[in-house]
Amino acid sequence: MHRKANGGNCLSGNCYSDMTTVQPFWRRSILLRAAAQVIGIALVVGLGFVLLTAHLTERFTQESVSQRVRELMTTVESTVQIACFTKDQSLALEVVNGLAKNSEVFGAAVVGGADVLAERRREGATSERLRLAQAGRVSKPIASPFDPSQIVGEIIIDPDPEIIRIRVRENGGFVALLLSLQLLVVVAAVVAVVLLWIVRPIKRMSDKLHVMDARSIEPLAMPPGQENTEIGRLVTDINQLGQRLVASRDEEHHLHLQREIGERKYRAIFENADSGIFVVDQHMVLESCNHAFYRQLGLLRLAERREEISLLGLPWRMPDLLAGLLDRCAVLNRSVSDDFEYVVDGKEVRWFSVTLTPVGDQLIQGQLTDISRHKLAELSAQQEAITDSLTGLLNRNGFLQRIDEEIMACGNEASSGFALLIVDLDGFRRVNESMGLASGDQILSITANRLRSCLKGGDIISRLGNDAFGIILRSTASERAAANVGMRISVALKGFFEVGSTPLQLGASIGITLFPSDGADQETLLRNAEMALDHARVGGSGRYTFFDFTMARNAEHRRKLENDLRFAVRRNELMIHFQPIIDLSLRRMTGAEALVRWKHPEQGLISPDVFIPLAEDTGAIINIGLWIVETVCQQLATWKRQGDDYYISINISARQIPDGLPPITLIETVNRYGVDPASLAIEITESVFMGDSEAAQTWLDAVHELGFRIYLDDFGTGYSSLSYIKRFPVDVLKVDKSFVRDMSEDNSDRALVGAIINMASSLGLTVVAEGVESAHQLELLEKAGCRCVQGYYFSRPVPADEIEAASRHVQQLL
Amino acid sequence: MMRNVLPRLIVLLAMLMPVLAHAENIVVVANPAAGVETLSRNDVINIFLGSFRQLPSGIAALPIDLPPGHPARAEFYRLLVGKNPAEINTYWARLIFSGKTRPPIQAQQVEDAVSMVQGSVGAITYLERSKVSGKLKIVFELAQ
Repeated sequence: MHRKANGGNCLSGNCYSDMTTVQPFWRRSILLRAAAQVIGIALVVGLGFVLLTAHLTERFTQESVSQRVRELMTTVESTVQIACFTKDQSLALEVVNGLAKNSEVFGAAVVGGADVLAERRREGATSERLRLAQAGRVSKPIASPFDPSQIVGEIIIDPDPEIIRIRVRENGGFVALLLSLQLLVVVAAVVAVVLLWIVRPIKRMSDKLHVMDARSIEPLAMPPGQENTEIGRLVTDINQLGQRLVASRDEEHHLHLQREIGERKYRAIFENADSGIFVVDQHMVLESCNHAFYRQLGLLRLAERREEISLLGLPWRMPDLLAGLLDRCAVLNRSVSDDFEYVVDGKEVRWFSVTLTPVGDQLIQGQLTDISRHKLAELSAQQEAITDSLTGLLNRNGFLQRIDEEIMACGNEASSGFALLIVDLDGFRRVNESMGLASGDQILSITANRLRSCLKGGDIISRLGNDAFGIILRSTASERAAANVGMRISVALKGFFEVGSTPLQLGASIGITLFPSDGADQETLLRNAEMALDHARVGGSGRYTFFDFTMARNAEHRRKLENDLRFAVRRNELMIHFQPIIDLSLRRMTGAEALVRWKHPEQGLISPDVFIPLAEDTGAIINIGLWIVETVCQQLATWKRQGDDYYISINISARQIPDGLPPITLIETVNRYGVDPASLAIEITESVFMGDSEAAQTWLDAVHELGFRIYLDDFGTGYSSLSYIKRFPVDVLKVDKSFVRDMSEDNSDRALVGAIINMASSLGLTVVAEGVESAHQLELLEKAGCRCVQGYYFSRPVPADEIEAASRHVQQLL
Repeated sequence: MMRNVLPRLIVLLAMLMPVLAHAENIVVVANPAAGVETLSRNDVINIFLGSFRQLPSGIAALPIDLPPGHPARAEFYRLLVGKNPAEINTYWARLIFSGKTRPPIQAQQVEDAVSMVQGSVGAITYLERSKVSGKLKIVFELAQ
């Protein structure tokens, strides 16, 4: 059982040593411990038994001695009676001597009456013995032999205490001997049993376990006959434990291996990462970092030295911002990230994206990625976003930004003011359409170059869109300086553009506005410039116009009209007047042109020349057109009821074709009023052919198919082309009033009208001459073979209820 | 109690039988000069059985037994201490062997006893009542 303390032959890691101080030998042996305890308990019990036995023996011996003494007394009683009765000392002495011969008797006496007749006591007794003897004294009164009621003496016997003592000792000794023997046997039995059933199996197990190697645990053998005992269970449990130990150790080993592999893997990832990875403590001192960290921050020489590096001590452009991020990371206790500029080797500025993650223990793990390229890309993307790709100028967004910047600069008194110009190429769309986009682009590039050459270095130039260019003349607050530039530009753009082999001449219109006198913000300035541009354009090609507040007022007025026009139909402010159309061959009025009039509640009658373009711009023309069709059909129905077979022509704007006035709506409306489609003529201008000619053709074909007649209005003013007339289903040509007006003086015009009429008749088209104002004109037209006329000579446009009067007036004139 | 009474009654009857047969009292007689009128039973017992041999008058008492086998002797001890002659003999035998106390003098005949009483002041003996003659003083009577 005894084991060397901390044996050196311990192979396994879980070898436990005697941690306590070395204990006494017996405390380390179950056997001895058990034996000692059994002996101890047995000794205590035995001692108790011995003491009890001594006590009882003493009691019993005393009792038996007393008994014996009393028996002796009884034996000698008759003699003592006699001796006492006769007071015979001799006889008494005889009796006493006899008694004294008994071993139990220490001393005896016979008393007769008042006298001691005889007394005997052993010689050589100690006083103690004497005292003990007297303490055990037994006496008996002696009656007369002849009268039991008469007491004549007394017999006294002192038992010998020695005899009791001897007896007690003998008995006690015997009991002690017996108990000792028993104890011996019991201890032997206990030792044997413990040894055999407990100690030996345990020792075997212990010995085996002691030398057992944790790497190869073999099961313990089951001690024979112990299968179902606690020992057996212990063995089973130890074996199971061992198995589990082996299993868990294997598992642990496996895990350890995995962890090691994982560690190595992560180490490799850490070291080979492209991003700089680092860990800093709460003082921002680097705890560890990978190679990429050194490399990216240009600290490779520090990597060799392995000295303490403070993250904030590195050459960041703004270390305070990084410190702020670190603080935020620590306070929020979550990942944060931001971009920082860093100066590599004191010259090259690089951008790093730094992501910080708290990893506990007041440590912060960080990752930094070189994002300089992204930053550059971002910057160039930003640049791109404000650059026009074709010309390399600023685009609209960039231009707007620059306007704001300039306004701000003026606010800071860095500049006193500037001029804003918008340059628009005249007729560019036409070039684009006729010569292709590539040519257009070429022209735009040339324009950009010419504009650049007209400007100073600090001035800003941009392409706002399509053919519009925006220019800021910085620090140019005076109208004159701006006008000079406007002139220069105007001249520059008047020059020929060499596109392909064709030299092209375009003009430019320029709108100019001034900051701060014309407007205080970007929006106002742009609007002003555009208004000025519109005016310039209206004034004719190659002009520049300054914004003035009248333009703004006109625009405001226009805006108000636009607004009112939206409600004009609903408020019944529109009305239709009719101007008679006279068929010269029939010598009477055969129809009328419907002309819409707007009676504005505040401004009175407003000319169609004013509000129709507005209506076209705002889309109000759609509703107005539908209202006109409805009203005209109603009028036709009324005339039909009255027996008049007049037709009416209505003006249809390009805006209404094809969806604003679907053919189906037209036919539905005439059918609803029971009107013949042939009595409703649709007047269009050549502008209809200019837009989506495909859709226009479809619409016109459909309308013509339905029986409506098509009038081509204002013929001769536009690009009047025979191909249009051939292509589209036109029934009637209306010759513009400008030709008719000039006919009386100008022979060429007269010839032109004549040619138109001849051409029309040869194409099978009817001609209506507009703007006939005199009998002379009428005569000329009649001579030229014109079939129909209309004009103030016969009647101005009149309300429907005056048409009868007008008709009669026409009759009188013919 | 009844259980005890019956045997005692029988014993009593048995004891009465010889009395009835003899029907004579035993008396203790002393020398009239002894100066003794009467003795108590205890006095008689003490004197005859050796305990205290002195007459109340101060004279040493000298008890005299009738010859062994005399009916009066057996009757006397029977009446006096309730013992038969054998018992009385055993009593005295003890004293004879070990002690100093002596039994009463034994008269050879009744007459000797009487003459000894008459002739000695302290002498004392017992007789059947009928045998009492002059010069003898009856000091105690044992009724049947």
